[in-house]
Amino acid sequence: MADVYTMGIDIGSTASKCLILKNGTDISGYAVIGAGTGTSGPKRSVEQALSNAGITINEISGITATGYGRNTFSEADWIVSELSCHAIGIHAVFPDVRTLIDIGGQDAKAIRVSTTGKLENFVMNDKCAAGTGRFLDVMARVLELDVSELAERDAMAENVVNISSTCTVFAESEVISQLSNNVNICDLVAGIHRSVAVRTAGLAKRLGIVEPVAMSGGVALNSGAARALERELGIPVRIPPLPQINGAYGAAIYAWEHRKQER
Amino acid sequence: MNALNRLKNITMNPKAELKEAVASGKKVIGIMPYFCPEELVYAAGMLPFGLWGAEMQANESKQYYPAFICSILHTTLEMGLKGELDDLSAVMIPISCDSLKGMGANWEAGVKNVPVINVAFAENRKIAAGIEFTRSQFRKIQKQIEEIAGRTVSDDEIRKAITIYNENRCAILAFSKAAATHPAEVTAADRCAAIKAGYFMDRAAHTELLNEVTAELENLPASDEGYLKIVTTGIIADAPRLLDIIDKNKMVIVDDQIAHESVNARYVIPEAEDPVLAMAERLAEIEGCSVLYDPGKKRGTQLVEMAKNAGADGILFILTKFCDPEEYDYVPVKRMTDSASIPMLQIEIDQQMTDYGQPESAIMAFAESLR
Amino acid sequence: MSDSIEKKPAKIVLRELQNKIAEEAWEAKKRGEKVGWCASNFPQEITTAMGIPVVYPENMGAAVGAKGGGQRMCEYAEGMGYSGDLCSYSRINFAYADLKKCEEMEIPFPDFLLCCNNICNCMIKWYENLALEMNIPLLLIDIPHLDERTCDEDRIRYIRAQFDDCIRQLEEITGKKMDLEKLKSVMEVSQRSSRAWLRAVGYMASTPSPFSGFDIFNNMAVANVGRGTIEAAEAFEQLADEYEALAAKGESTFKGEEKYRILFEGIACWAHLKYTYKALQTRGINLTATIYGPAFSFLYGNLDELMAAYAYVPNSNCFERELELRVNDALKNKVDGAIFHMNRSCKHWSGNLYEMERRFREQTGLPTIVFDGDQSDPRCFSEAQYETRVEALVEIMEENKKKEVKA
Repeated sequence: MADVYTMGIDIGSTASKCLILKNGTDISGYAVIGAGTGTSGPKRSVEQALSNAGITINEISGITATGYGRNTFSEADWIVSELSCHAIGIHAVFPDVRTLIDIGGQDAKAIRVSTTGKLENFVMNDKCAAGTGRFLDVMARVLELDVSELAERDAMAENVVNISSTCTVFAESEVISQLSNNVNICDLVAGIHRSVAVRTAGLAKRLGIVEPVAMSGGVALNSGAARALERELGIPVRIPPLPQINGAYGAAIYAWEHRKQER
Repeated sequence: MNALNRLKNITMNPKAELKEAVASGKKVIGIMPYFCPEELVYAAGMLPFGLWGAEMQANESKQYYPAFICSILHTTLEMGLKGELDDLSAVMIPISCDSLKGMGANWEAGVKNVPVINVAFAENRKIAAGIEFTRSQFRKIQKQIEEIAGRTVSDDEIRKAITIYNENRCAILAFSKAAATHPAEVTAADRCAAIKAGYFMDRAAHTELLNEVTAELENLPASDEGYLKIVTTGIIADAPRLLDIIDKNKMVIVDDQIAHESVNARYVIPEAEDPVLAMAERLAEIEGCSVLYDPGKKRGTQLVEMAKNAGADGILFILTKFCDPEEYDYVPVKRMTDSASIPMLQIEIDQQMTDYGQPESAIMAFAESLR
Repeated sequence: MSDSIEKKPAKIVLRELQNKIAEEAWEAKKRGEKVGWCASNFPQEITTAMGIPVVYPENMGAAVGAKGGGQRMCEYAEGMGYSGDLCSYSRINFAYADLKKCEEMEIPFPDFLLCCNNICNCMIKWYENLALEMNIPLLLIDIPHLDERTCDEDRIRYIRAQFDDCIRQLEEITGKKMDLEKLKSVMEVSQRSSRAWLRAVGYMASTPSPFSGFDIFNNMAVANVGRGTIEAAEAFEQLADEYEALAAKGESTFKGEEKYRILFEGIACWAHLKYTYKALQTRGINLTATIYGPAFSFLYGNLDELMAAYAYVPNSNCFERELELRVNDALKNKVDGAIFHMNRSCKHWSGNLYEMERRFREQTGLPTIVFDGDQSDPRCFSEAQYETRVEALVEIMEENKKKEVKA
């Protein structure tokens, strides 16, 4: 029997993620492009994922689009919310996980996953950048660091600085004044991570935490932020091997399952 | 559906109604939320004109209100400051929430052409002294209205106005019920627009048009097959883009506990010797609104009942950003709907919002979880 | 009275008195008496005369904020589903009601709730939720915001009926009876306290002011809730005497030279109290006017006037009267400028703050600044913003002084 390929594309506000799945289980290729909806990002992520998988678009039997820009992707066979896709994606990696925390560029969400991998309940952040990826971007810029350096700095922190402001503008000035007091940058980075973790943990508590807990989204790549979240929740948090493409993964699985049903 | 189109047109351009009324020699009084005694305005032969904000950016209002005040007040003040409401002869402003308490002074400071009628009523609204206080305040307001109208208003005229308002309330409920089974004919945005039109036009004319739509709908077979049944709750839910999202996800609003929609319609004014006393008595009866004193959170009980009676699949708690009464209510109400096992989703909206990405994702995910 | 007590400074006496009131509530609770949670501007005459112990969640909110627990408690409440935009006192209280513990301060749990919305309507929603969560009776005295300068007869009748209703219900709940003679004497004592309070804060008009104005934030708690007791009346009389003596000598408890005098508008930023104080004190700025000075005087001759007095608490008045209170206080106490706290927690206070600032500036010709903050949530305040604005204010006040000297 010929292999069946399905595609999931998660078009976010700051990044486009595409994943190609073979026979509903094997990841043949994926791509993450740091450009989101309204840019060439989605198209490029598709091209790159196809080339990584070594196949052409004609070989794809079904596409699910998800994420903030899902409605702009005209090639999609199905359009599904990222909350459902995240639930499906994490269930495939960790079938026992019941709570997923996803921190994206502008949204943070806490998702309850049913024992069968369905979206059961969720809460999302209010309209404020605190506790999202955008917040970390702003703070990294203030510290003249690349976002990718944050985890490394966090690991070297000795005394976590308390960054209390919730407003991004105020937090920025708080960080700047700490910097001018010659506070250790590593301690500041850890403080920033703690600030994000506190906000996100609050979100998860509003949902009600059912263990085990996992974390996805680009911020999960940052081990400093992930550790801070564990500390705030007081329980271990699992990270899938590819946290940033969890939504795209779920979308590809969704496409596979719906193609299968049609047959 | 000519009547429906006519209602939609009015809602799309309320200012045209205002201009037309003024051109015809009618005086118009702005009515801010919540529960102002607008029957008195009607009785005086003037047009009560609802002011529940507008979908727009508020800029000038930020000289008066800080950013953390709800958009209903920001955008209403903005319209006033820009002179867009200069045709009004006065504006009624109640003190039902802390943000509204500041509106009167802000309005007087910034909108010189339109005087304020302050509206106070009892929060302790069910006790005799509370009803009497509300009555006394409404009578005081009546005097101010009479001054603007340049004539006295008789109790008979007030009774007539009450009858017209009561008929309108019944018409709104009947329409809402008919719309609940006809999502193919009446979209969520249409439903809201049809109800909302009443805030800008003669109530008797509104009743006539609404009844026409309801009659037409009642003659058509139900078209709600495959739709998720939703009950909405909150202050206001008139954002067209929000309502489009509800349609897109094949949801139909089967009932609402929205202050701007059915909350006001659900309670009629009783017949009484003193019509103004009857108005105060009605205020004592109203349940289901966060700005009214509600020690037992009957709002939650009522919401659960509404959802059950309507066979709803879920509830949308449409939270007006920065509305503290709503933010307080959300927690106990959520607990009550949870214990009744009715799924409820909170959506945060404000009228200055241009990006509906988050509600779009959230409502879609909610629909997915309900199907 | 023994000499040793006489020698204690009034500040200490007041602090001890506050602790004593709290302690008495705990003891009453232990004895099995019914204890209430009470809104800060609920007519204390009722509970004092009936001997009903009550505690004040708002005071707890301020204390927890000042002692550094605000963020933790607020975040906990946000985890319960409460929006971070809500009053931080209420968030701290919801957290405490749920956790039943708080390391910074605890108050005995209530058997009933006494609510009064003369300070704000959010109080009502807050207490509604508490009543539901704890399943205890809620008594509300609704004092409608004034839309005219004076409290009208309709309001007085309405408040009076609720007052009587409330007493009846409290008698049922607690089994204690209202003694009208006792009420009369409590009213008299309260007047005595109020007059002493007014006399004490009146010395802020002296140059220099005999005390650091931030002390008012600490003393007002007792002025507000304990003024119906003889001890409070005596303590305030002592405080006034102390200030009088200092003023006569031209001395002050304010550290350093009093170079500038300001009006501070709004609730203190408890979580940043030290910082907000130091930023002023190190620049020689003393607070010599705040609405808590004149506004916590409840002067009345009879019950009807008592009702009206509770409609005249800060922010319950119509805007023009609120403005007048500030302007008069500023002029009387000869301030050089004003600082307005845009308090994120308090929509009522903040809703007219910009207009208040503008009109204050127009009427007094004095420089003003507005800064963003919060009463007990430390997360809404920026030291950098505060500092920059205070510096700018000092520069303008300095220029004005130079002009005065030239003129």
